[in-house]
Amino acid sequence: MEPLTSMGVMALIGAAATIAGASEDLESDVGSQSNPNSQVQLAPQMMYPHRIFNKAISGEPPSNALMCAIGGTTASVLMSAGASVILALAIGAIIAAAIHGTYATTSYFGRSASQRRFKQPIYLDILRSHLPVIMGYAFITTFCILVVSYLMIAVLAHPFSLPLMAFIWGITVGAIGSSTGDVHYGAEREFQNVEFGSGLNAANSGNIVRRAESGLRNGMDNSWFCAKFGGPVTGLAFGMTVFLSGWITVLFDASKGDAIGWISVIAGTLIVLILTIWNRNIEVAARKAFGPYKKDEEAEVAA
Amino acid sequence: MIDIAGILTDNILNILLITLGGILISWSVHFVPVGGAPAAMAQATGIGTGTVQLAAGAGLTGLVTAAAMMNVTDSMLLVIASGAVGAMIMMSVTMIVGTWVYAYGVGCPPASAKAKYDPITKDRQDLYVSQGTEGHGLPTVCFVSGVIGAALGGIGGAMVYYYLLIIENGLAAPDIVGIASIFAVGIFFVNAVIPSYNIGGTIEGYHDPKFKKFPKAVFASFIATFLCAILGVLAIGGL
Repeated sequence: MEPLTSMGVMALIGAAATIAGASEDLESDVGSQSNPNSQVQLAPQMMYPHRIFNKAISGEPPSNALMCAIGGTTASVLMSAGASVILALAIGAIIAAAIHGTYATTSYFGRSASQRRFKQPIYLDILRSHLPVIMGYAFITTFCILVVSYLMIAVLAHPFSLPLMAFIWGITVGAIGSSTGDVHYGAEREFQNVEFGSGLNAANSGNIVRRAESGLRNGMDNSWFCAKFGGPVTGLAFGMTVFLSGWITVLFDASKGDAIGWISVIAGTLIVLILTIWNRNIEVAARKAFGPYKKDEEAEVAA
Repeated sequence: MIDIAGILTDNILNILLITLGGILISWSVHFVPVGGAPAAMAQATGIGTGTVQLAAGAGLTGLVTAAAMMNVTDSMLLVIASGAVGAMIMMSVTMIVGTWVYAYGVGCPPASAKAKYDPITKDRQDLYVSQGTEGHGLPTVCFVSGVIGAALGGIGGAMVYYYLLIIENGLAAPDIVGIASIFAVGIFFVNAVIPSYNIGGTIEGYHDPKFKKFPKAVFASFIATFLCAILGVLAIGGL
């Protein structure tokens, strides 16, 4: 294929992946999933009942992998029956979002009901208002992952099947969302009642913020806040992963010879090296900005 | 009737190399700095997610890159190197964006609670661990350890896939790719789960005392992957 066409396709894949990453993180914020949900689950037991949606269906990677694999399988079947690509991908994503909505409902009822002894109510208005948002984000995530997978298979001639490719990218988007954007929700948004910075003292566990900018806080307030930083950076992370891992093999196409293939390996290693140096720079800047939290007793004794 | 003994003797090298790939995956997981749920609240050093999930995310990205490469080249080394690079890119991108969130979103410096001095940069760590936490963020040693882990996981995953794909069989090309990739993903998950019993939720990387437990996981992986490899080879070779 023309290198310019391949690069154009890679750009489209990167853009779709960025949207998928951002919507994946915001879906997990509005419904409260993954590791930060441990605090939402713990809060009623510490006598802090709340109005935050509580659905940890499973870890984010398996739940996204399930959604994407369902979407990929449905789309694959529809395409083999002669449906157009866009229609097949859209219907696949709708079915995946509907199944995700089912899990979100049972999960919210189950988790809240199990906390009856801690006087945690089940709010039907929370379920009614949050479920369409959760399903909407799930649809966007699944659709974008299906677009990424379809383009890689149909245009870039990747040998994997659509459901498997969607499954793998589902696992990856969940792993990235759970590692990056969720920290913004778990370490910052849930604990705005303590001083900014320095991580959460274990003694404050369960004492999540329950009052919003206006009224009582719910999942949508969390999504509003995380959409300013956690969501977009998750999108950047997934977009960068999909784009960079594909870009090096498109730019240095191994089908033209093994030597060019090895250049792609070197290019990838260089990218990793640059990111390592970048991490070190942020580390030095953060140590300087937030300073030591304790005095150096050894130095004082020596003096 | 399937000639079981014949298939196994013909593919004994494949079985051994698939087992080696599985062992590499199991070893690699010990390098990945994961802090589980506490890290998501900046209460522990490492990436704020589960061991299996992060290792699988990186390894499977490597598998996608390796499979793309295998489509266009016969060089085994190139396929395996591509798997390693794909996994390294996923892991380092995740870690750098994690560092953005810790530094700019949460406001805490990377600090390890398991080492007084960072073995690579020699920076003092304990003074930067805030009260009531077990460290936070990703100091340089954790970042480098994560990249090594991802590389090993990518190599392991790519090896498993490569040696499943070259087994002689009577299938058409898309079918063999389908079955080999499903087996490769399955073997990857088996070997990503086994080390989590050693890790118990959190590990900072190769400087963590828990890292020394890896021989037990590697031995368990050897047995599990050997059995998986026999099944995989029989399933693919018998078709």
